Amino acid sequence: MSRASAEQQHPAATGMTLIVLVGLSIAFLLAIALLNVAKSGNILSEANLLYAALVFYAGAGALYLGFGVTGTESYITFASLATWAGLIANTGAVAHRWYEAGHPPFASLYEMLLSFVWTLAALTLIAEKRYSVKVIGTVTMPVAIVGVVLMQLLRSDVRPLVPALQSTWLHVHVTLAMLAYAACALSFALAMMFLIQDKLKTETFLAATSVFTVGIYAAILTRFEKWGGFNVVAWDVEHKSDVFISRGVRLFVVIPDLGWMMLLVFGAVAAPLVLYILAQVKKDERFLSIANRAVFIGILMQMLALIFFLLRARDGQYSSLDAEGLYPTSLAASPFILSALVGGIFANLLYLLLLWRRPDLERHLPDAVTLDRITYKTICIAFPLLTLMIAAGAYWANRAWGSYWNWDPKETWAAITWLVYALYLHMRITRGMRGRVAAYFAVAGFAVVMFTFFGVTYLLPGLHAYA
Amino acid sequence: MALSLRSLLRKTWLTLSAVKTGVILIILVVIFSAAGTVILQRPMTEPEDMQRAYSPSMLRFLDAVGLTDVFHTRWFVTLLVLVSLCIIAASVERFPNAWRFFSRPYKSPDDGFRRVLPTQAQIPICNEEAGLSAAERAFQRLGMKAERIVRTNSFSLFSERNRISEMAVYIVHASLLLIFLGGIVDALYGWRGFLMLTPGSASNQIEIRNAPGRSLPFSIRCDGAGEETYTDGTPKKYWSKLAVVDNEREIFRKEIVVNDPLVYHGVRFYQSSYGNTGKLEALILNAVPSKGSGPAKEISLGLNQIVPLDADTKVQLSEFIPDYVVEDGKVFTRSNDVENPAVHLIVTSEKTDQAINVWLPEIPGIAENAYAPYVFQPKELRTGVFTGLQVSHEPGQWSVWAGVALMALGLTFVFYVSHKRFWVVPAHNLSGELILWIGGAANRNRDVFEQNFKELVEQIKKELQPETAAAFAPPAAIAGTTIAGR
Repeated sequence: MSRASAEQQHPAATGMTLIVLVGLSIAFLLAIALLNVAKSGNILSEANLLYAALVFYAGAGALYLGFGVTGTESYITFASLATWAGLIANTGAVAHRWYEAGHPPFASLYEMLLSFVWTLAALTLIAEKRYSVKVIGTVTMPVAIVGVVLMQLLRSDVRPLVPALQSTWLHVHVTLAMLAYAACALSFALAMMFLIQDKLKTETFLAATSVFTVGIYAAILTRFEKWGGFNVVAWDVEHKSDVFISRGVRLFVVIPDLGWMMLLVFGAVAAPLVLYILAQVKKDERFLSIANRAVFIGILMQMLALIFFLLRARDGQYSSLDAEGLYPTSLAASPFILSALVGGIFANLLYLLLLWRRPDLERHLPDAVTLDRITYKTICIAFPLLTLMIAAGAYWANRAWGSYWNWDPKETWAAITWLVYALYLHMRITRGMRGRVAAYFAVAGFAVVMFTFFGVTYLLPGLHAYA
Repeated sequence: MALSLRSLLRKTWLTLSAVKTGVILIILVVIFSAAGTVILQRPMTEPEDMQRAYSPSMLRFLDAVGLTDVFHTRWFVTLLVLVSLCIIAASVERFPNAWRFFSRPYKSPDDGFRRVLPTQAQIPICNEEAGLSAAERAFQRLGMKAERIVRTNSFSLFSERNRISEMAVYIVHASLLLIFLGGIVDALYGWRGFLMLTPGSASNQIEIRNAPGRSLPFSIRCDGAGEETYTDGTPKKYWSKLAVVDNEREIFRKEIVVNDPLVYHGVRFYQSSYGNTGKLEALILNAVPSKGSGPAKEISLGLNQIVPLDADTKVQLSEFIPDYVVEDGKVFTRSNDVENPAVHLIVTSEKTDQAINVWLPEIPGIAENAYAPYVFQPKELRTGVFTGLQVSHEPGQWSVWAGVALMALGLTFVFYVSHKRFWVVPAHNLSGELILWIGGAANRNRDVFEQNFKELVEQIKKELQPETAAAFAPPAAIAGTTIAGR
């Protein structure tokens, strides 16, 4: 408690001020947009609806985080309203896109993000209503904002489907995948909340967050090139796609010195973990308060890394080790790195929220036993969805490629995810596993889901070249 | 000796049927599958890439241990077989009890059972029959059926729902076994290959990767193939018109596209790829005399074909280059795709006995177009195409799909359908008063079940009320008229 209060130097804004500020900002941004729109004459275009959604989600996010900083309860109600408004605008964007493209929005990274952000907002509202977990927006809204911002960087024209994707099974498989992954994400969030309510020590969260961030930067550092460069994929400006040397092999360019930056930040984010270990070994609590300050500095360093990455990778011509001449790159060529950088900052911010506002969070969350049960129920929903997703994928593969199972990395990892959740269910139903161990299991399961979704595409190549 | 063998068998059986064994086996499968995605696997990776990625000694080690083809090594297959055996053993060990429980419902709870059942309630009643009929009405109102069970001197009630739920877990595991069976059958008897056809050709020879080819008892004839692209060049559709010819007879025709294969006698033909063979079929040109006026002649040339232009001159198509590039004064081809086509014509004149090399397009330094007596304008270039078909025979897939369907059913029952039982027994409590004992049990979703149980008890209490109240209070309607006096 004393550690937390040392960090609480923030002046608590009065209840109404932030709400009024957010409301005015939303109104202002929408007014400007409407003025622009009135000139072009097309109010309900997809871009405008998406912009409106962004504005509302940003408002909701600000209010949720405002709650996080000050603990004022009324913020949550208005945040919910903002989320509702954003969801309506988002639904409009999805419908518009579907109509224009002639197929549900699943065919490109842009469309997947659109669907994902919609699902996130919908799930936030469901969790608030059905499970009475009112603070889940603190986690989901910032992710939604990042999603919409990422969308602005991507090629957004309606892309016709290549032959392999022209099948109803595309819609079935991808819908099931998104629902399954969303349910797994929800179970992860609930398991985290359980651990908070189960009085898991804040420093254990510190260690976990640090390990996660270190992992992200380790993955980022696989792009470290000798002499301090950083490898990114080259971008073909004319065709608006990655540059390929040959089938499936991308051309990489080296951004000089960015590798050193990433290495430096890696050191910065490893510091809290090292300090935590020292605190455990030497049994000295002072190391923990230094560790918490290190987390704060780590966030600033990560923001620096993000800014440098944005500045260097946004445009600019770089040389490549595999081909002669200079090639351009773009942020759209590195969606995973961007997501990883933002994800790391986000996770650390959430840890700070826990550090500074734990008693408030504990007051707003249901009790531990309930959360344990709800986590189990969410996994009971996720598991059949995972099963059906794999089955639909197998059937589709059979129709498109001639075999239902190829031990392709994505397929294999999907099966591993399935096995991990099957293990959870076995341990729970047959061996009565409950409480903390069950929560750890749920967290591990979601880590595997994230690896299947991101890690396989980024780190391991294969047949599954589409997403 | 015999005794220790029996006890050894027994121990093996117990280990095999334990949940712990299953957990350990699943963890092992996870570890080795993960290894198989991180370590480059031979069937999918070119040998040069393997040698580039690993040092020779590391590669030798990985090959020896089997980590370069994890999913087909014997020990991985054995692991999967062990998992299947474990599932079978665990199910067989537990099934008899579950079946006994399923087939012989416990309808009449005895004293001991009633004492220890966690979910129960007691309601005082005046007489047995009134209590039982109130309970029956309560069940009816809640949409449940109750049957009367005859006991030694009285009746009791028993109501249950979804008894099948007790079998759900066995359905799920049986479905897993079906899927494994399908996989094994396909691994043993299934095969996958490739067939490349050009329009007009037919074949029954299937190429199989890393194995001798296969001959089918029937052949596939290609009557046409093509691709459609979107305006920006991305492929929209690959199609092939195929016909099945069995015993000299054409059985049927089908136009296949990606995602829509042709199936005949269990063999499936999938549209996999399409491309240019890079070979010329015909070149159609206009030949105009370069000096003086003369009619333009349209000629069609095949490779190496000689066509006379007039009494004196002949032209031969000597080379066709689909994707030309000039290097060191020579013309090479970059690929088989018709990107930058070039043709080499040789114009021979009887009179002058000259052979002039005409190139279209006119490649500087190599072409001698200026000396030719004719000027050639290309009109049409027809090149050969091929269609690539993926061919597979998977007899086990029906078992796999059956397993999937069964698993969907089983999972529904496991998670969403719970077996609920209710008993109502007239009995005497410790003080000797007549009470109605109500008990309930469910095999899952116990929190929802507790709600249902409370509802039932409240409903029974409500049904009992008129009985006790009727003795004292007059019917409401009559009370209204007498009191209000209207």
